[in-house]
Amino acid sequence: MNSRKHNLYAIVALITCGFTTQAFAQAKACIELKTTAAVEKEVVNDKGEKSKVLVPAGKVVPGTEVVWTVTANNSCKQPSDKVTINNAVPEHMTMVANSATGPGSQVTYSLDGKTFASAGQLTVQENGVTRPARADEYKHIRWEFKNSLAPGASAYASFRAVLN
Amino acid sequence: MLSVRHLVAVGVVSLLGMWAREVRAVGVPAGTSINNTAQVNYTVGSLSATATSNTSTVTVAEILDVVVTLQTPSVPVIAGANQQDLLYRVTNTGNGPETFRLQMSSVIAGDEFDPTPAAPSIYFDTDASGDLSPGDVPYVVGSNDPVLDADAFVTILVVNDIPAGVIDGNRGFSRLLADARTGVGAPGTTYAGQGSAGTDAVVGATGADGEATGEYLVAGIALNAVKSQSVADQFGGTRPVPGARINYTIVVSATGSGTAGASVFTDDIPANTTYVPGTLRLNSAALSDGVDADAGDFSTTPNAHVSVQLGSLSQASGSQTVQFAVTIN
Repeated sequence: MNSRKHNLYAIVALITCGFTTQAFAQAKACIELKTTAAVEKEVVNDKGEKSKVLVPAGKVVPGTEVVWTVTANNSCKQPSDKVTINNAVPEHMTMVANSATGPGSQVTYSLDGKTFASAGQLTVQENGVTRPARADEYKHIRWEFKNSLAPGASAYASFRAVLN
Repeated sequence: MLSVRHLVAVGVVSLLGMWAREVRAVGVPAGTSINNTAQVNYTVGSLSATATSNTSTVTVAEILDVVVTLQTPSVPVIAGANQQDLLYRVTNTGNGPETFRLQMSSVIAGDEFDPTPAAPSIYFDTDASGDLSPGDVPYVVGSNDPVLDADAFVTILVVNDIPAGVIDGNRGFSRLLADARTGVGAPGTTYAGQGSAGTDAVVGATGADGEATGEYLVAGIALNAVKSQSVADQFGGTRPVPGARINYTIVVSATGSGTAGASVFTDDIPANTTYVPGTLRLNSAALSDGVDADAGDFSTTPNAHVSVQLGSLSQASGSQTVQFAVTIN
């Protein structure tokens, strides 16, 4: 069922059955999305040099910075285009300013999950005055990847947030 | 109304509230699950698709933190007095319920005498009176260790006898210590699986123990100050709005035997208010604001305060009434 031809047959079948137009605009699942949590840990090598490594986060105390990483892997034989990852900042956490990264992506933020804009472009109303929103007020993060995701390739999106 | 008890001895009445600061913890409750799920939208050819990730979860571990604060200023005592109490507050500043062990010590360097711990020497202030009273339950280590929820506190009385032979001006220190039963240690020390709700317990910034030291001051006489206030706003009402005036009245009285020499009353002008010039009075007689021949003055160094020299006070002197006014900024 990987070929375009089969998909077209499926569309014909759906129309025949009277489905809405939205339902038949779906491609088959090509991207598998995975999210993981990690914390930075300082390690010292045998030369006494310090470096930081990411270790899986299981139990964390308030004030801990957690690195959330989202991996999108294309399991299909066709490229995926217009790949856009959305992630809400988890409840009880505060996003760390400038921490959202994703190679090859443009990152935007939102306060309400509807209006997305670049950092510094969002505003809030406070006591009748409009001011720029602070990074700790961002509740949603969006990564829009400029290039298509080749078959078998992965795209990465990550951000940091502090446990309140 | 703000009342202050036992304030002072040997002369100086101060209404500074520094011994009773509030402590509060911050943090998501231990055991809370923090979940993250991402979504992706994409197209394949002309068709669009969406996918949702797994839900990745981290669990909030328990922070072990405790703060002990002294609730009474220097307690005036006389030589040979029994069952003299110091009031403390033990606050769980962690993020989960925790059991605390209490200890006291009265052998502390820097004072002139060692108070003698009464038996028992630690009580819960069960009736919340702030004083040792018949209903207060003695603390027995390992038996009724206080269990405190996050941010909860318990008030504790440390009780000592004052040795005979101490003289006016001698100070004796006594300390209350509290530590988390789960464990103490350097901040970051982890007790795997021993936190509330089965999560890990991690020692917080306090080291999971705390202490505070109180003081007995030998004085044959104690001065007491009771402060009251009335508010008059500029619209003829009594609302505490900016511009409103607060009139303070402080009644200072001496109890006990003997005489408190060279007693001085001082009171800081409250934050966000401004002293109204020329409003300082002692027993209804106006006092000038300057440092001069009369008993009172207003000064801005080191911080804005009024000061009134009350001279020698004994129980027979009767109460002394100080008044002044401020406006709300």
